[in-house]
This record gives sequence, structure tokens and C-alpha cells, in this order.
Amino acid sequence: MSETTLKPQASYAVLGLFDTPDALMQAIPKARAAQLGAVEAYTPYPIHGIDEALGHRKSPLGGMVLVMGVLGALTAFGFQYWISAVDYPIITGGKAANSWEAFIPIMFEVTVLFSTFTAGLGMLLLLNKLPFFGHPVLSSKAITGITRDRYALAIEAESDSFNAEAAAQALKDAGAAAVEALPAPDRSPFLTSDYILRTLGGIFVACVVAGLAIFFAIKWFPLMRPMVNMQDQPRLNAQKASAFFKDGHGMQQPVAGTVARGHLPTATGTQDASASLINPLPRTPEVFAVGKKAYHNRCEVCHGALGNGMGSLTSAYGGKPANLQSQQFRDYPDGKIYWAIVNGKNSMPSHAPYLSESERWSVVHYVRALQRAQNAKDEDLKVAP
Amino acid sequence: MSQNKTASQNKPASPLLLGATALGALGVIGSYAAAGHERFWANWILWFVLLFTLGLGALFIVALEHLVSARWSVPVRRIPERLATLLIPAIPVGLIGLLALPVLYPGTRPEAAHHPILAGKAFWLSIPFFSVRTLVAFALCLLGLALLVGGSLKQDATKNPAFNIRARKFAPAFMAIFALVITLIAFDWISGLTPEWYSDIFGVYVFAGAFLSGLAATALSVLYLQDQGRLEGVKGDHLYNLGAFLFAFTVFWSYIGFAQYMLMWYANLPDEVIYYKVRLAGSWRAITIALASLHFVIPFFALVTRDAKKDPKRLRRVAYLMLGAHVLDMYWLIFPVLGVTPHFSWPEISFALFFIGGIVLWVRGAMQRGEDMPVGDPFLREGLEFRL
Repeated sequence: MSETTLKPQASYAVLGLFDTPDALMQAIPKARAAQLGAVEAYTPYPIHGIDEALGHRKSPLGGMVLVMGVLGALTAFGFQYWISAVDYPIITGGKAANSWEAFIPIMFEVTVLFSTFTAGLGMLLLLNKLPFFGHPVLSSKAITGITRDRYALAIEAESDSFNAEAAAQALKDAGAAAVEALPAPDRSPFLTSDYILRTLGGIFVACVVAGLAIFFAIKWFPLMRPMVNMQDQPRLNAQKASAFFKDGHGMQQPVAGTVARGHLPTATGTQDASASLINPLPRTPEVFAVGKKAYHNRCEVCHGALGNGMGSLTSAYGGKPANLQSQQFRDYPDGKIYWAIVNGKNSMPSHAPYLSESERWSVVHYVRALQRAQNAKDEDLKVAP
Repeated sequence: MSQNKTASQNKPASPLLLGATALGALGVIGSYAAAGHERFWANWILWFVLLFTLGLGALFIVALEHLVSARWSVPVRRIPERLATLLIPAIPVGLIGLLALPVLYPGTRPEAAHHPILAGKAFWLSIPFFSVRTLVAFALCLLGLALLVGGSLKQDATKNPAFNIRARKFAPAFMAIFALVITLIAFDWISGLTPEWYSDIFGVYVFAGAFLSGLAATALSVLYLQDQGRLEGVKGDHLYNLGAFLFAFTVFWSYIGFAQYMLMWYANLPDEVIYYKVRLAGSWRAITIALASLHFVIPFFALVTRDAKKDPKRLRRVAYLMLGAHVLDMYWLIFPVLGVTPHFSWPEISFALFFIGGIVLWVRGAMQRGEDMPVGDPFLREGLEFRL
């Protein structure tokens, strides 16, 4: 702040000091009746009824908070609806993806968040236009009293024809114990490079101090976990030791003689012994679709899309996968193809871990369809009645 | 003040009110004979709970003032004090209501001893212990009434500030008593109808409704006395505080009610969700939605602005609405035990006529007794000077 702005040019406002809030309240109508300028009060704490006495219009803040609160509720609902029901629907606890009951707590919180931010920031920045360090009352002699136990009433200039003497007289007539003339407000910007540098420096120092404090707090003091029941619960981990079982392993074999649901025992014995197995699945479009997908994922890379043994791996590695279109494999019973899928044959590995029981039999159906497609007869073109 | 009072004091109760109450009484007797005992006792318990929560809610407002040394509410304190005397007629109604135990409360029946859940609660739910708890609750209410309301009436003549000190010392103890009594009434009389179902927060839920009904009745009575030219000096600022309390506690009620619902909905335990399953099926679903609207959505938006809270016309409407919503709330809690279709016909209307008529007659009488303001209270002037 330069020297010249501090000097009172023409008086901008006159401040009258009162000893009690009652004296201030009684002076307000008199000061307003004088009609010398805008009347404003400066008090150490809020005084009941002062808004009405000063003739302040109703604050628009309430309406702003209501609008933003509703907006907060809608925003929270929209976010949650989009995440839970549109973008990434996951069924949790058997509840529908779009469950408004689950959204309510966050809607409530976001409503409160939007409302409080609107109330606080709207009041400070938008309506009161703070910070305003150049306010003349802040550099007045009376400011120490106003922030402690004095109640000030100001008549402030509304036009160039402000009569400071008349205003001072009016305040004295209204019972002011002392009056003080104030200079015009200093509206020069406070965001100077000096101010910004000092602020950034302050933030930097605060970060360093906080960082060091946290570093040494963790280094010197034992880590205390307030609630460990969730972390330290007894559980079994694969590949880890466990005191729960006699053999000390966390991972256990299935109980002898049991079959997990959906995991039928794989075919054992020789391929010839499996020849009599009958494909249990019907030849429906759904079964062929499953078989086609499984064949595409697991078989096609070697046996080729047509099943003729010309897969993409054949040329790369020089392998010789079976040509399923050959007469030998066209004559194969279903059970022998199934046996090969389960146990593998020659250099073909077992596919039992990757294909479920129904997928294996679906692949068998699909292989049959491939063979038929490459060796079609005229009557195949007839549409079934 | 007292001149105005004597003018309205001589006005007898209107014949319409007396006739409606008498008609209701006939209907009540008739419904015992014609509508089935279960339905009669469900109605009886509904109106006992309503009467009791209204009186207890009013007594809570009185105790709250003493507890926090509130000054703004001193000029209107006589109103909740008078409303709290509704606890006196509530006691015989409750004692007669004990006859409903074998009819409506499964925990009191002999087969409860073999029920897997109720067997462990059999002693608690048995008729003797249930009755003893109710009697203890009544005795504690009478104690609060004698110390807080009786002492205040005596102060009118003595002008002795010692009452304020005594009431302030007793108020914290009364808060503990209040919590115990409202929880006992909520758990025993309402939740006891479905003893397999259990909710920790149920007492708080009933408290929210009780406090709201006490506030609404207080606001209505203040406006009624103001219309008669009594309660001179009670301003819009006092109305604003009553309105703000009403506004705040509509949110509190829905917060508690929804918290209870959401936890049960999430956990989805059969014992718990059955309570809501019943209330969200068929016609009860419409009543549940109506309850949420009438008890929260409509009063919330009706009172959200600053001016609405001190507007006598709007405050009166919202206060009537809150009393109605409290009746609906208790109906929603109690009546599903009668079946999947809500019962509403001449027995319910008769009970409503009889009890509302009785309450209005009682409150009318109470409004004539003593001064309209606690004139002996040393803080009355400070309360009259209250400004927002």
C-alpha cells in the first residue's frame, strides 16, 4: 500500500461510536432519517434485529442454497445411477443395479456438501465480495474497539456531494460518543506478485513442516492400528501354511469320493473304451453356438477353422495336427473325439481344465457339423419341413 | 390478559363437539360388540399410543426448556405444560389397554414358550412383567408432571425463582426418564405386536414422532390462543422457533425412519424384512408412500423458507398436517397386525371421533386453568423480549 492512498482526500464516510448495542439500535433510525448517505453498522458480534433496523433487503442466499442443494441431490443420484446401473452394473448383495435406497446416503451427503459450500462461499465471495483489505474501517482508529466492545454506525457516501460535517453532526445528535472521518476505500488489487510469492512460500513451508512431522511421527512412534478385526480374521490362503488342517496346508484335496457341482469326472481308460460313449447334448442352435465358440477359442489354432488341420500354428511350428476332415476322423465315434479332448493325444495336450463337460460335448457336435459341411449332400440343401 | 381469558372462559363447548364425542363413544362401544375384539383392541392401542406420545412429547418440550435454560420459550411454556396433562387421561386408557395383551400380543400367549425366538424373551413379554413396566412408566410420567408442571403452576402465586433452579436440576434426570419411558412404550406396546421383529432404533423413531406431535399441538394451541387475543407479547419470532423445530424434526423423523429401513433392506434378513414386506404390499404400499409424503416431503418444503416458519396461516396448516401424519404413522405401525388389507371403516372413525373429541375437550379445559403464561417465572420478560 503506497503512502498516497492512506491520506484521506475527501472524507468518504463518517463513523460514530456507541458504547452499547441498545444505543446503536436507537441511533439507527435517526441516522437513516437524516438521509445523508448509506447507513451501515460495524459490531463485534451479530445483534438481533439489526437487519430490519438497517433496512437490509432479504438475502438471496437461502434461495441459492435451496437450488444448489437440490442440484447436489440430483448430481449424486445421477452419478450413482450412471455408475451402478449403466456403466458398470455389478449385483451386490442380491440388490438390483438401480437401487435408490442405496443411493440415498450419498445423495444426502452431497446435498449437504453443495448446500454448505454454496452458503459459505456464496456469502463470502459472491455477496460480500470478500476479501476486501482496503475497507476504510479496517484502517480506522476505531477498529480495535469495533472488534472488542464498541458498536459503530457509519454514514457512507453514496454520491460526490457527501457532506461529512452534517453526517458527523447527525451521528452526534443520534448519541454517538465519538466520531471519526474515514478515507475512501482502497480498491487497488491486493493480489500483487509480492503477495502471491509470500502466499506460495507460506504454503511451501507448511508442506515441508507437515511432511517432516509425518515422516518422523511414523519413524519414531509405533504404528497403531485402531481396529484390526477385519485385517486379522482367520482365513485360508492357497499356497500358504495353515494350522487349521492336520497336514499344515492351506490348500486341500477334495474329500474322497465327492464331485464338485458342475464338475463331472473326466473320462478315464483307453480311447477305444470310450468309443461307446453317447453325446448327451441335443443338437440345438444354442449347443452349436457354444461348441463353435469353444472350438474357436481352443481348437482352431491347430485344427483350422474348417477342421482340416491347417491352423495358423501349423505353418509356424511345423506341427502336424489331425485333419478332422479325413475319412479316419469322419468314421470316429463321438466318444473317441471326446476322449481326445479330455486326455489329449500325441502332442495335443488335455483340454479338460479349460472346457467344461458340456463345452466338450458341444465341441464334438460342432466338429460333426464341420465334417458334414465339407462333405455336404444334395438333400442337405432341402429345408426341413 | 386475564380479562380476555374470562371472556372466553364462559363459552361452553360447542354442542357439535360434544355430540361428535358422544357419537364416537357409542361407536366405540358398538365396535367392541360388532367389529371383533382384535380390531377393537388395535384401535384402542392406537389411540392410547397417540394420547401418550402427545402428552409425553409436550412434557419433553417443557423439560428441554429447563435443561438448556431456553429463554425464548418461556412465554409459550404454559402451552406444552397444559398439553402434558394429557398424560393423566392416558393412564386409565393404558390400564384398560392392558386387557388387549392376551388378544393382540403373541408374546403373552402360552404357545410363545415353544416358539424358537420368543421362548428366550418369554419372561420379558409375559403379562405380569409387561404390566409392571407400564405401571413404572406411568409412575415416572406422573413424577415428571408433578415436578415440572405442578411446580410451574405453583410458581404463578409464589413467584419463587427456586422452582427454576429445581427444574433445571431435575431436567437432566427427566431426560433419562423420558428416554426410558418412550423406549418402553415403543418396544412394549408397538414393537411388542410383532415380537419376532426387532430394531434398536425403534424407540428413537417413536420419540421423533412424539416430539413432532407435541410441537404441532403446541403451535396449534399458541395460534388458537393468539386468535382469542390471549398470549399478548408472543411474536412472529416465537412462532419462527416453533416452526424451525417442526421443520428440523420432519428431517429427523425421516432420517431415523429411513436409516432403520435401509439397514434392514440391505441385510435382507427374513426376520427383519418381513416388517417392511407387509407394509410394502398391496394397499399398505400406498399408505407407506402417503406417510413419507405427509410426514416429510410436504411439511419439509412447506416450511423450508424463512418467512414460512413464522407465517401463522401456513404454520397452522402444517401443524394440523403433522398431527394427522403422526396418527397415520402410528396406524402404519400398529394396524398391519390385523391383516394384509388396511382396516378403515366405522370403528376407526368412531375411535377417532371419541378420542379427538376427548382430547379437544380436555385441552379446552386445561387452557382455562391458571395463567396463560408462567407469570411467576423470572425469565418471562427476557422471553418476551426475544428476537431472532
